[in-house]
Amino acid sequence: MWDSLKEDLASTDRIMLGCALMLSLWGVFCIYSAAAGASGRGFDLAVKQSAWLMVSIGAMLVVMVVGHHKLLEGAYPLFGLTLLLLLLTDLLAPKVNGAQSWLGFGGVRFQPSEFAKVTIILMMSKFLSRYPPYDLKTFAAGLGVISLPVLLVLIQPDAGSALVYLVISFGMLVSAGTPFKYLGTLVGLGLAGIPIIIMFFLKEYQKNRILVFIDPMRDPLGAGYNVIQSRIAVGSGGLSGKGFMAGTQSKLKFLPEPHTDFIFSVFSEEFGFIGNLLLIFLFSVLLFRIILTGVHSRDRRCKILVSGVASWLWFQMFESMGMSIGLTPVTGLPLPFLSYGGSSLLATFIALGLVASVYIEGVSTKRVFYINPQ
Amino acid sequence: MEILDSRLKLFLYSMTLSIMILISGLYFCQIYQGDKYIRLAHNNRLRMIRFPAPRGEIFDRNGVPLAVNDTTFCIMGYPLDLNTPAKLEHLSRILKRHGIPITVADLEKTIKQQRLAPYRVMKIVPNLTMTQMAELVADYEFPHELFPLSVWRRTYPAGPTAANILGYVGEISEEELKARAEDGYTGGDLIGKSGIERSYEAILRGSPGQEALEVDARGRKVRTLDANNAVKGEDIHLTLDMGAQKMAVELLGSNKGALIAMDVHTGAVIALASSPVYDNNPLAWGISGREWVALMNDPARPMLNRAIAGVYPPASTFKAFMSIACLEENVITPSSMYTCRGGLRFATHTFKCWKHSGHGGLNVLGALQHSCDVFFYQVGMKAGIDKLIKWGRKFHLGEPTGIDLPGESGGNIAGAEWKMRRFKTTWGTGDTINYSIGQGYMLMTPIQIARVYAAIANGGKMVTPHFNRNAYKTPEDIGLTPEKLAVVQKGLGYVVSRGTGSRAGRFGVSIAGKTGTAQNSHGDDHALFAGYAPAENPKYVAVAVVEAGKHGSSVAAPMVGQLLAHLLSH
Repeated sequence: MWDSLKEDLASTDRIMLGCALMLSLWGVFCIYSAAAGASGRGFDLAVKQSAWLMVSIGAMLVVMVVGHHKLLEGAYPLFGLTLLLLLLTDLLAPKVNGAQSWLGFGGVRFQPSEFAKVTIILMMSKFLSRYPPYDLKTFAAGLGVISLPVLLVLIQPDAGSALVYLVISFGMLVSAGTPFKYLGTLVGLGLAGIPIIIMFFLKEYQKNRILVFIDPMRDPLGAGYNVIQSRIAVGSGGLSGKGFMAGTQSKLKFLPEPHTDFIFSVFSEEFGFIGNLLLIFLFSVLLFRIILTGVHSRDRRCKILVSGVASWLWFQMFESMGMSIGLTPVTGLPLPFLSYGGSSLLATFIALGLVASVYIEGVSTKRVFYINPQ
Repeated sequence: MEILDSRLKLFLYSMTLSIMILISGLYFCQIYQGDKYIRLAHNNRLRMIRFPAPRGEIFDRNGVPLAVNDTTFCIMGYPLDLNTPAKLEHLSRILKRHGIPITVADLEKTIKQQRLAPYRVMKIVPNLTMTQMAELVADYEFPHELFPLSVWRRTYPAGPTAANILGYVGEISEEELKARAEDGYTGGDLIGKSGIERSYEAILRGSPGQEALEVDARGRKVRTLDANNAVKGEDIHLTLDMGAQKMAVELLGSNKGALIAMDVHTGAVIALASSPVYDNNPLAWGISGREWVALMNDPARPMLNRAIAGVYPPASTFKAFMSIACLEENVITPSSMYTCRGGLRFATHTFKCWKHSGHGGLNVLGALQHSCDVFFYQVGMKAGIDKLIKWGRKFHLGEPTGIDLPGESGGNIAGAEWKMRRFKTTWGTGDTINYSIGQGYMLMTPIQIARVYAAIANGGKMVTPHFNRNAYKTPEDIGLTPEKLAVVQKGLGYVVSRGTGSRAGRFGVSIAGKTGTAQNSHGDDHALFAGYAPAENPKYVAVAVVEAGKHGSSVAAPMVGQLLAHLLSH
């Protein structure tokens, strides 16, 4: 096993993994700074996050050794297990901040909704490659599969995760070659459904988030407070930032949830526009390498698989950064690699393990990796 | 396969596009509008102002206000707006022009306190009157970044007369903030520091209001965005009678000591004076560190509430307790006679009676009436320290009475175990002899003495002394034999009608009580008197302790007599 691991590491995409590691380490520093002001628990949380990072890297290596083939074979049972865990969470979990998303497991708490992202990707890549969504029937079947976990997390209620599942699935439907007329209709229906969803399915606080997205000043002490303060944090970072540990917005507790939802605001305030460019550069390289891994692969399932991972990381990055400058509504989604949270980090690295495994296979079949393989 | 690859390329394009959007957004926010947000972060347009809730007021039993809230004004501002010496100089000059003597150094010191959070609004100048504030705001040179805030100031109309009971409020300290992290205090809040203000902090404080302001770049309020009103704390009505309290303070005069009056049946405290007094008003408004140190280091210790925290040998007032303990333990009967020849020789030491010529033969009635020491030496020796301690515990000696004031002392019940622990020596018979007349290691607070005498007066029920009229607790019956108690009551009656305490009985009411003269190693003896009235059907108990008052009979007894007479005639 060690030999195969060595071989895997030698032949995997070290640029992608390097980006992921740099982002995670930067995240640990940000968590230290963010939590130092808000709760004085900076060191404590940074140590915990480092420990989670170790565990996550370990899990990624295990996934690489096991390989994406075996995991794709087990996709159906894994998906079934995920649905069961989500159901258990709905039934058993205690409420934290008004939503029940945590399952305790021998002293370790984890969020099944994070791991569901991985199993949904496995499930959908297998399903969509066996039943390509070229006609209405298979397209509808694909939608049916994804609706199960979406409904289960909506019960929690965890609208953020449901949104991520939908985006992942949509991305995979796109890459699986769904005709544009179906995709267009889906998007059209989704847009038309937004008012209905807002009216009937969103909680009061979620409606407020949408409303303050349009006008933050309508409730400056309530829902709008986060947006206003976060925008001030990012904006006041300026070109070069206020320096590590010197952000006033986060240190003076103007920023809520600085080490989780609003970690990007803390980052931007302290590292400025230049820091942001560097951060986005790392994310871009990571995302591009993930997609190119798919382009390069000869396996239909793998192409769809990487598109799922890419959609996931892209969406959470875009949403988390966007909400901190008021570009997108507040959803409370973590910024991949940077936000504090073990489950999220672990799930992300497991997904990267899958991509790395796909890459290794591509290398061993083709040996050379071209940026534009034709 | 081709369609899949083309779709993946579509991914690349759309991601590139979205990242461009993100970067443009960040550019707009951090570079294009960066200056605006830097300024906003500095001034933080959103300013939160906390309004302290008016505190609950405190009244005496007749509705006389004892602690009330006056409106005063503070000048509030942000340390960032006062960050140059020139600005401080300017402010100081304007203040001085309107007769407010605040120097640049004072301002600097105030602002330095909040160096860590320069974006938070803070109190720059406290305690201004409406007139002062109006003049300042009207001054065209007054800095517009600063703004007035009306605050409640606690005043105590009775001042020094009831300061030891009411205590005072002050700004919450770092330690208090840490200890009460859960209770929603923030820096600058007022909190009860002592007395009733402290014991009933939770009831009195109310809940603060909050206002969110949007301010312009110069710090002036543009509009109120949101506000919660403050909720006033609950009022408290005390059992204290200000008339009696005033009289008690006056009776003590320039003496050091304590004078207490209490309802014998309920434990409701009617007067509780401690002398010397201090004024709690300046403490509530904030005094300088130097004044505070001077107050704390005053050798007369005015801040010590002698009525509940001063510990004294109960001296001969203890003899009433001794009589009950020995009668109940059948060490003596009401007719047991002992002879006093002016002293008791034990081992190598002679324990003297205060009357060196001796009292001759007397029983417990005579011994109380004449306060004979030798009688109690002998019955104390006969009973032994353990039985005395047993009865001491029944009367809750050595433990606080549970009065609703902070800082109460429990006195010292002593005993063999205690002496071994404290001095690593055994308890000798000589210790018991001293103990029997309330000297030596036995120490009590005036309120403890009052409680014991209340139990003697009411038939053996230990009351819980209290000020808040809602704090009444059902007294605990300690099971005294009525016939034996009646002997002691009769003896205490004789003390005033024909014995050492006759000076207590010259004010027109029938009083039963006991004098005491406590040896004081630091100077003249302390004078004590504990008594209740009317002797036949007791209503009130009163205790006087006068430090270095020499004789209980001449100094303390008239105080108790006058106070009890006042209570019964009103």
